[in-house]
Amino acid sequence: MLILSRKSGECLVIDGRITVKIVRVEGEVVKIGIEAPSDIPVHRQEVYEEIQRSNQAALTRQNVPLPRLPKLAVPAATFAAKAFQTKNAIP
Amino acid sequence: MNSVSTFETEAIAAPVVTEARLPMGLLGFERIKDYLLIANASEEPFQWLQVRDNAALAFVVIDPFVVLPDYQPDIPQADVEFLGIEDPHDAILFNIVTVASPTRATVNLKGPVIFNRRTMIGKQVVLANANAYSIQHPLSIGEATA
Repeated sequence: MLILSRKSGECLVIDGRITVKIVRVEGEVVKIGIEAPSDIPVHRQEVYEEIQRSNQAALTRQNVPLPRLPKLAVPAATFAAKAFQTKNAIP
Repeated sequence: MNSVSTFETEAIAAPVVTEARLPMGLLGFERIKDYLLIANASEEPFQWLQVRDNAALAFVVIDPFVVLPDYQPDIPQADVEFLGIEDPHDAILFNIVTVASPTRATVNLKGPVIFNRRTMIGKQVVLANANAYSIQHPLSIGEATA
Protein backbone atom coordinates (compact mmCIF):
# COMPACT_ATOMS: atom_id res chain seq x y z
CA MET A 1 0.00 0.00 0.00
CA LEU A 2 1.27 3.43 -0.93
CA ILE A 3 1.31 5.69 2.12
CA LEU A 4 1.62 9.45 1.65
CA SER A 5 1.52 12.33 4.12
CA ARG A 6 -0.86 15.16 3.28
CA LYS A 7 -1.91 18.34 5.07
CA SER A 8 -5.47 19.57 5.13
CA GLY A 9 -6.32 21.31 1.87
CA GLU A 10 -3.88 19.15 -0.09
CA CYS A 11 -4.91 16.70 -2.78
CA LEU A 12 -4.00 13.47 -4.51
CA VAL A 13 -4.69 12.80 -8.16
CA ILE A 14 -5.36 9.22 -9.26
CA ASP A 15 -5.21 8.22 -12.90
CA GLY A 16 -5.55 11.86 -13.95
CA ARG A 17 -9.29 11.88 -13.32
CA ILE A 18 -9.90 11.24 -9.64
CA THR A 19 -9.01 13.91 -7.10
CA VAL A 20 -8.90 13.12 -3.40
CA LYS A 21 -8.73 16.17 -1.17
CA ILE A 22 -8.08 16.23 2.55
CA VAL A 23 -10.69 18.79 3.50
CA ARG A 24 -10.23 18.88 7.26
CA VAL A 25 -8.65 16.93 10.10
CA GLU A 26 -10.49 17.03 13.42
CA GLY A 27 -8.95 14.74 16.01
CA GLU A 28 -9.52 11.20 14.79
CA VAL A 29 -11.87 12.23 11.97
CA VAL A 30 -10.57 13.10 8.53
CA LYS A 31 -12.96 14.76 6.11
CA ILE A 32 -12.15 13.73 2.56
CA GLY A 33 -13.51 15.21 -0.66
CA ILE A 34 -13.49 13.00 -3.74
CA GLU A 35 -14.04 14.18 -7.28
CA ALA A 36 -14.45 11.32 -9.73
CA PRO A 37 -16.31 10.73 -13.00
CA SER A 38 -19.87 9.55 -12.36
CA ASP A 39 -19.10 6.06 -13.69
CA ILE A 40 -16.66 5.45 -10.84
CA PRO A 41 -18.58 4.35 -7.76
CA VAL A 42 -17.27 5.65 -4.45
CA HIS A 43 -18.66 4.14 -1.26
CA ARG A 44 -17.86 4.02 2.43
CA GLN A 45 -16.38 0.55 2.74
CA GLU A 46 -18.72 -0.61 5.53
CA VAL A 47 -21.93 0.35 3.68
CA TYR A 48 -20.63 -1.21 0.48
CA GLU A 49 -19.78 -4.47 2.24
CA GLU A 50 -23.10 -4.53 4.07
CA ILE A 51 -25.05 -4.25 0.80
CA GLN A 52 -22.75 -6.79 -0.86
CA ARG A 53 -23.45 -9.32 1.91
CA SER A 54 -27.16 -8.57 1.75
CA ASN A 55 -27.20 -9.17 -2.03
CA GLN A 56 -25.37 -12.45 -1.59
CA ALA A 57 -27.88 -13.58 1.03
CA ALA A 58 -30.79 -12.52 -1.20
CA LEU A 59 -29.68 -14.42 -4.31
CA THR A 60 -32.00 -17.37 -4.86
CA ARG A 61 -30.80 -20.34 -6.84
CA GLN A 62 -34.26 -21.57 -7.64
CA ASN A 63 -37.75 -20.13 -7.44
CA VAL A 64 -38.63 -19.80 -3.79
CA PRO A 65 -42.24 -19.50 -2.57
CA LEU A 66 -42.89 -15.82 -1.98
CA PRO A 67 -44.55 -14.39 1.11
CA ARG A 68 -48.02 -12.90 0.69
CA LEU A 69 -48.26 -9.19 1.32
CA PRO A 70 -51.42 -7.10 1.35
CA LYS A 71 -51.76 -5.04 -1.81
CA LEU A 72 -51.44 -1.29 -1.67
CA ALA A 73 -53.81 0.88 -3.65
CA VAL A 74 -51.50 3.73 -4.65
CA PRO A 75 -49.45 3.12 -7.79
CA ALA A 76 -45.71 2.92 -7.40
CA ALA A 77 -44.93 5.66 -9.91
CA THR A 78 -46.61 8.22 -7.71
CA PHE A 79 -44.31 7.34 -4.87
CA ALA A 80 -41.20 7.25 -7.01
CA ALA A 81 -42.07 10.72 -8.24
CA LYS A 82 -42.48 11.86 -4.66
CA ALA A 83 -39.07 10.54 -3.73
CA PHE A 84 -37.36 12.50 -6.47
CA GLN A 85 -39.31 15.66 -5.78
CA THR A 86 -38.26 15.39 -2.16
CA LYS A 87 -34.68 14.95 -3.27
CA ASN A 88 -34.84 17.95 -5.56
CA ALA A 89 -36.51 20.10 -2.95
CA ILE A 90 -33.70 19.49 -0.47
CA PRO A 91 -30.42 19.81 -2.34
CA MET B 1 -81.95 -18.92 -12.67
CA ASN B 2 -79.19 -16.51 -11.80
CA SER B 3 -75.77 -17.90 -11.40
CA VAL B 4 -72.52 -16.08 -10.85
CA SER B 5 -69.38 -17.58 -12.24
CA THR B 6 -65.98 -16.36 -11.23
CA PHE B 7 -62.75 -17.28 -12.89
CA GLU B 8 -59.28 -17.08 -11.42
CA THR B 9 -57.60 -15.41 -14.36
CA GLU B 10 -54.61 -14.16 -12.35
CA ALA B 11 -53.14 -17.57 -11.86
CA ILE B 12 -52.83 -18.23 -15.57
CA ALA B 13 -51.90 -14.71 -16.69
CA ALA B 14 -48.61 -14.69 -18.55
CA PRO B 15 -45.73 -13.04 -16.71
CA VAL B 16 -44.66 -9.60 -17.86
CA VAL B 17 -40.99 -9.82 -18.78
CA THR B 18 -38.88 -6.73 -19.30
CA GLU B 19 -35.20 -6.72 -20.26
CA ALA B 20 -33.13 -4.65 -17.87
CA ARG B 21 -29.46 -3.79 -17.80
CA LEU B 22 -27.26 -2.92 -14.85
CA PRO B 23 -24.00 -1.69 -16.44
CA MET B 24 -22.25 -1.85 -13.05
CA GLY B 25 -23.99 -5.01 -11.89
CA LEU B 26 -25.18 -5.36 -8.31
CA LEU B 27 -22.77 -4.90 -5.43
CA GLY B 28 -20.95 -8.19 -5.11
CA PHE B 29 -22.16 -9.25 -8.58
CA GLU B 30 -20.44 -6.62 -10.67
CA ARG B 31 -19.92 -8.88 -13.67
CA ILE B 32 -23.58 -9.80 -14.12
CA LYS B 33 -25.10 -6.97 -16.10
CA ASP B 34 -28.06 -8.36 -18.03
CA TYR B 35 -31.28 -9.18 -16.26
CA LEU B 36 -34.94 -9.87 -16.88
CA LEU B 37 -37.51 -8.20 -14.70
CA ILE B 38 -40.35 -10.68 -14.32
CA ALA B 39 -43.74 -9.75 -12.91
CA ASN B 40 -46.37 -12.38 -12.19
CA ALA B 41 -49.76 -10.98 -11.19
CA SER B 42 -50.15 -13.78 -8.66
CA GLU B 43 -46.91 -12.79 -6.93
CA GLU B 44 -47.61 -9.09 -6.45
CA PRO B 45 -46.16 -6.99 -4.98
CA PHE B 46 -43.01 -9.02 -5.58
CA GLN B 47 -41.15 -9.26 -8.86
CA TRP B 48 -38.10 -11.19 -9.96
CA LEU B 49 -34.84 -9.70 -11.12
CA GLN B 50 -33.50 -12.74 -12.91
CA VAL B 51 -30.07 -13.15 -14.40
CA ARG B 52 -30.75 -13.17 -18.15
CA ASP B 53 -28.34 -15.95 -19.02
CA ASN B 54 -29.13 -18.14 -16.02
CA ALA B 55 -32.78 -18.61 -15.12
CA ALA B 56 -31.77 -20.35 -11.88
CA LEU B 57 -30.24 -17.16 -10.48
CA ALA B 58 -32.64 -14.48 -9.39
CA PHE B 59 -33.35 -11.84 -6.80
CA VAL B 60 -36.76 -11.10 -5.36
CA VAL B 61 -37.49 -7.38 -5.50
CA ILE B 62 -40.28 -5.15 -4.28
CA ASP B 63 -41.48 -1.59 -4.73
CA PRO B 64 -40.12 -0.02 -1.52
CA PHE B 65 -43.11 2.27 -1.12
CA VAL B 66 -45.33 -0.77 -0.58
CA VAL B 67 -43.11 -1.60 2.37
CA LEU B 68 -42.58 1.91 3.70
CA PRO B 69 -44.95 4.53 2.25
CA ASP B 70 -42.85 7.42 3.60
CA TYR B 71 -39.53 6.05 2.27
CA GLN B 72 -37.41 9.06 1.32
CA PRO B 73 -34.38 7.79 -0.58
CA ASP B 74 -31.74 10.48 -0.99
CA ILE B 75 -30.27 9.58 -4.37
CA PRO B 76 -26.84 11.06 -5.08
CA GLN B 77 -26.92 13.53 -7.97
CA ALA B 78 -24.16 11.60 -9.75
CA ASP B 79 -26.46 8.56 -9.87
CA VAL B 80 -29.40 10.60 -11.16
CA GLU B 81 -27.09 11.80 -13.96
CA PHE B 82 -25.68 8.34 -14.64
CA LEU B 83 -29.21 6.98 -15.06
CA GLY B 84 -30.22 9.91 -17.26
CA ILE B 85 -33.24 10.65 -15.11
CA GLU B 86 -34.62 14.02 -16.09
CA ASP B 87 -38.13 13.67 -14.78
CA PRO B 88 -39.10 11.98 -11.51
CA HIS B 89 -41.52 9.78 -13.48
CA ASP B 90 -38.55 8.30 -15.35
CA ALA B 91 -37.47 6.44 -12.22
CA ILE B 92 -38.56 3.02 -11.03
CA LEU B 93 -37.30 1.82 -7.68
CA PHE B 94 -36.91 -1.76 -6.56
CA ASN B 95 -35.42 -3.02 -3.34
CA ILE B 96 -33.96 -6.47 -2.94
CA VAL B 97 -35.80 -8.88 -0.66
CA THR B 98 -34.15 -11.67 1.30
CA VAL B 99 -36.70 -14.44 1.67
CA ALA B 100 -35.93 -16.63 4.68
CA SER B 101 -39.23 -18.51 4.52
CA PRO B 102 -42.76 -17.91 3.19
CA THR B 103 -43.51 -16.08 6.42
CA ARG B 104 -40.20 -14.34 7.03
CA ALA B 105 -38.52 -11.88 4.72
CA THR B 106 -36.53 -8.68 4.95
CA VAL B 107 -35.88 -5.89 2.49
CA ASN B 108 -32.70 -3.88 1.96
CA LEU B 109 -33.68 -0.21 2.16
CA LYS B 110 -30.09 1.13 2.04
CA GLY B 111 -29.34 0.17 -1.54
CA PRO B 112 -32.32 0.40 -3.92
CA VAL B 113 -31.97 -0.66 -7.53
CA ILE B 114 -33.13 2.29 -9.60
CA PHE B 115 -34.06 2.05 -13.28
CA ASN B 116 -34.73 4.67 -15.87
CA ARG B 117 -38.13 3.57 -17.14
CA ARG B 118 -37.37 4.79 -20.68
CA THR B 119 -34.10 2.87 -21.10
CA MET B 120 -34.45 0.13 -18.46
CA ILE B 121 -30.85 0.85 -17.55
CA GLY B 122 -30.36 0.77 -13.84
CA LYS B 123 -27.98 0.90 -10.95
CA GLN B 124 -27.88 -0.24 -7.37
CA VAL B 125 -27.55 3.06 -5.59
CA VAL B 126 -26.04 3.51 -2.15
CA LEU B 127 -28.32 6.17 -0.68
CA ALA B 128 -26.75 9.31 0.68
CA ASN B 129 -29.04 8.76 3.68
CA ALA B 130 -28.32 5.00 3.88
CA ASN B 131 -27.76 5.37 7.62
CA ALA B 132 -31.43 6.27 8.07
CA TYR B 133 -32.57 2.87 6.79
CA SER B 134 -32.16 -0.77 7.65
CA ILE B 135 -30.48 -3.33 5.44
CA GLN B 136 -32.85 -5.94 6.92
CA HIS B 137 -36.15 -4.12 7.21
CA PRO B 138 -38.71 -6.79 8.16
CA LEU B 139 -41.71 -7.26 5.87
CA SER B 140 -44.97 -7.39 7.79
CA ILE B 141 -46.42 -10.49 6.25
CA GLY B 142 -50.16 -10.96 6.43
CA GLU B 143 -50.62 -7.67 8.28
CA ALA B 144 -52.21 -4.51 7.03
CA THR B 145 -49.67 -1.88 6.00
CA ALA B 146 -52.10 1.05 6.06
